[in-house]
Amino acid sequence: MASHREDWAIAAPGLLLLLLAFLVPVGSILALGVRTEGGEFTPAYVIRFLTEPYYLGISWRTIKLSVVITLVCALVGFPFAYIMARVGPRLRLWLVILITLPLMTSVVVRTFGWMVLLGRGGLVPDIMRSLGLVRRNYTLMHTEVAIVVGMVQILFPFMVLSILGVILRMDPRLEEAARVMGCTFLQSVRRVVLPVATPGIVAGSLLVFTLSASYFITPSLLGGARLPVLAGSIYETATRTQDWPFAAAQSLILFTAVLLLLFPYIRLTRKAGG
Amino acid sequence: MVEAVPTGVRAAAVIFMLLVLAFVLGPLVVVAGVSFTAGDYVTFPPEGLSLRWYRAVLSADVYTHSAITSLRLAALVTLAATVIGTGVAVALHRRRIPGTGFLSALVLSPLVLPTIVFALGLLMLWSSVVGRTSFYSLWLGHTVIAVPYVIRTTLAVLATSDPFLEEAARTMGAGPWRTLFHVTLPQCLPGIAAGGFFAFNISFDEAILSLFLRSPDIMTLPIQIYTQLEFSPDPSIAAASALMIALTIFLIVAIDRLLGIQRVAA
Amino acid sequence: MKPNVMLSALACSFLLAGMSSSAVAQRATLTVNSWGGAYEKLHKQLIFEPFEKANNVKINVVTVYSADTLAQLRAQKAAPQYDVVHFSGGQEVVAAREGLIAPINAEELPNAANLYPFAKEGMSRGEGPVHLVTAIGLLYNEKKVKNPPKSWKDLWKPEYGDHLVLTDLSNSYGLLGFLMMNKVWGGSIENTKPGLDKVRELLDRSTIISSSPEIQQNFAQNDAWVAAFSQDYAHVVRQGGQPVKFVMAEEGTPAVFFTANLVAGRPNQALAKKLIDFSLSPEVQAAFAREMRYSPTNRLAKLDPAVASEVVYGDAVNGLVRFDPAQVDANRTALVESWKKLIAR
Repeated sequence: MASHREDWAIAAPGLLLLLLAFLVPVGSILALGVRTEGGEFTPAYVIRFLTEPYYLGISWRTIKLSVVITLVCALVGFPFAYIMARVGPRLRLWLVILITLPLMTSVVVRTFGWMVLLGRGGLVPDIMRSLGLVRRNYTLMHTEVAIVVGMVQILFPFMVLSILGVILRMDPRLEEAARVMGCTFLQSVRRVVLPVATPGIVAGSLLVFTLSASYFITPSLLGGARLPVLAGSIYETATRTQDWPFAAAQSLILFTAVLLLLFPYIRLTRKAGG
Repeated sequence: MVEAVPTGVRAAAVIFMLLVLAFVLGPLVVVAGVSFTAGDYVTFPPEGLSLRWYRAVLSADVYTHSAITSLRLAALVTLAATVIGTGVAVALHRRRIPGTGFLSALVLSPLVLPTIVFALGLLMLWSSVVGRTSFYSLWLGHTVIAVPYVIRTTLAVLATSDPFLEEAARTMGAGPWRTLFHVTLPQCLPGIAAGGFFAFNISFDEAILSLFLRSPDIMTLPIQIYTQLEFSPDPSIAAASALMIALTIFLIVAIDRLLGIQRVAA
Repeated sequence: MKPNVMLSALACSFLLAGMSSSAVAQRATLTVNSWGGAYEKLHKQLIFEPFEKANNVKINVVTVYSADTLAQLRAQKAAPQYDVVHFSGGQEVVAAREGLIAPINAEELPNAANLYPFAKEGMSRGEGPVHLVTAIGLLYNEKKVKNPPKSWKDLWKPEYGDHLVLTDLSNSYGLLGFLMMNKVWGGSIENTKPGLDKVRELLDRSTIISSSPEIQQNFAQNDAWVAAFSQDYAHVVRQGGQPVKFVMAEEGTPAVFFTANLVAGRPNQALAKKLIDFSLSPEVQAAFAREMRYSPTNRLAKLDPAVASEVVYGDAVNGLVRFDPAQVDANRTALVESWKKLIAR
């Protein structure tokens, strides 16, 4: 029983930090979204959001893009992490460095690299034009593709490192054993490595999904004013039109929606992993 | 085990890795290319070659001072976030605290909200409880958003750890704290390291939170770059970023030469 | 273990060193905001640096856009950190209403006596005076455009193809430009449907920008021909080597008003007012006109003929179209929302 006290002791600083420096200040802002100026409860702002096709459209785009970004990261990240785990430690370290280098430069600057590559007359549209795929003046900027491309590049290392951590801790002899027992290479990856890597994929997907739902600098720079996402709408509402109650209501909806999505996900994978 | 991998698969793996790396590093190559332009505009390929934008960055105090501030801040945030986050992760992993499932979702919540909401909330609270913002309000705010990364990565590593090791240590007579420091924590290390790495980068890269929580006399590098890009984009931003990339690579090579990279990586 | 702990403690004290002591200032300090780029450079050179020398004071300049400044002021209300804030998007209306900025009596500012009436009108509502004005009109590329636009309605001429640039309403230049288009098509601040309907026709042929520096990129790199934008940026783009000219459209020229406001609840208010007054002086305003083509609000400001020909100046300033800031503010949320709905894909 004494061990419980020890668990509380090591968790306390983090939980207190979360409570006092996050939940209290954020709660006081979010409360604006369900209160009148007089302080009484009102669902008006939330209803305004939920009954307006424009905001529902923004929400749909946010969810759709986050899912696509997470899927791409996971589908590319798992083989990438697996290969990294199977090369020599020196090469592995350099691969870690290379994929995390983008993290060492500002988000804004990385995004700006994409603007140069994807914009009118940029490298990618040029290649597409010479292949006869698109017209002159074609631009990938201000498209949903641009948002996905830019976000995947930023969030990819989060996925890879989460998966790498768990694959590295796996006993490689397990795989050999599977091979000896007659599994093909792909079978052994699917039957042995994938189950082990699942907690890492889950952790990575959680990070990537939540981050892509809450980022707004990259989507607004690459997507432009005509492809708003929820986080960008919250920023604009809070600073441009200074409508804090409505910004709060939008945040509340984003917050609840993501938590609702995350909770069963964690449960599900707990069962699968355990 | 490498021998057992078919040649076709190995060739495909090499091509796959190269493609992914090209994708991830492409924009950085562009940024580096732009930084050498002789012109006044951000264009790629650059118009003529020159080092003028490097001179501009290195002679500007705004860049060097803000870089030092950001490095200090990121180091302190990493320190705080790893210590605090690891504790939470270990406790959550043991699942002896009531409401663990709920808490596991809750500790992720700082990642869910756009930082502007948190920034405004913390600024309001800080102003009314503490007063003026300072380096410490920045440290606090950054730590809050960095901790979830450490918790997630550490939990992921713990999920694959051997649950009987802790028990074995206890059975052999080790006290709870001894078990924690000599058995549990060494198991978590890869997760803590990955989390710490993320924490460092999150802090080093955070612009919006800093914009609101800093005091007027503090400038961080992301704010400097953000404002420069937002208000007067010129190739100096590219040069500053290229310098940061070069510095990172240099540090890694230096660590390699001095300590041997495997030891650090292990 | 022990040496490691020592080392970490040392490292920590290094990291924290000097971070708390910076608050101890020996001279009086004023904290102000400015908007970065060429404007901030000029702001420092023409106002802050001379003022620092003349008054033995240190001025801390923070680069923040008007909208973010207002958000910060509101969140810091319990412990404000700015002394003087500059707004360009009508934020002074909100700030005054919420008591974030303090009213200034016109008699307290010696230069206020020579301001055009519109520049001190807001002071009665508790706002700061208008110290600079930039006109909103049409920018066009001389090399590409054969028939220069003369009227706001010319934006709808098919000959400009898909080389148009429009500005998002989150930007105050975009907001004023839109209100003017809406006006020429028969709308008013309360009724923006005519303007929105007409803009819809342009959507497929235009690039929509949000931040002001993008105007420069669009003329330099994206083959823009015609844009509704401001006189100061027309000058910046031209200085950057692009053959861009500014025209005032025949139906009228709206303008963006830059205000200097006194933050409430700060010490050193007398000094802050002195700084605001300094930005109203004829010499400072004439220099702003010379360097970046801003219109002065002080009727004593004297401009060279060459400069005067490129700036709305003299009594013409009084003739600029002015949308009532209080009315704009009251309709802002609805207007911005219907604009966003219009442009969203």
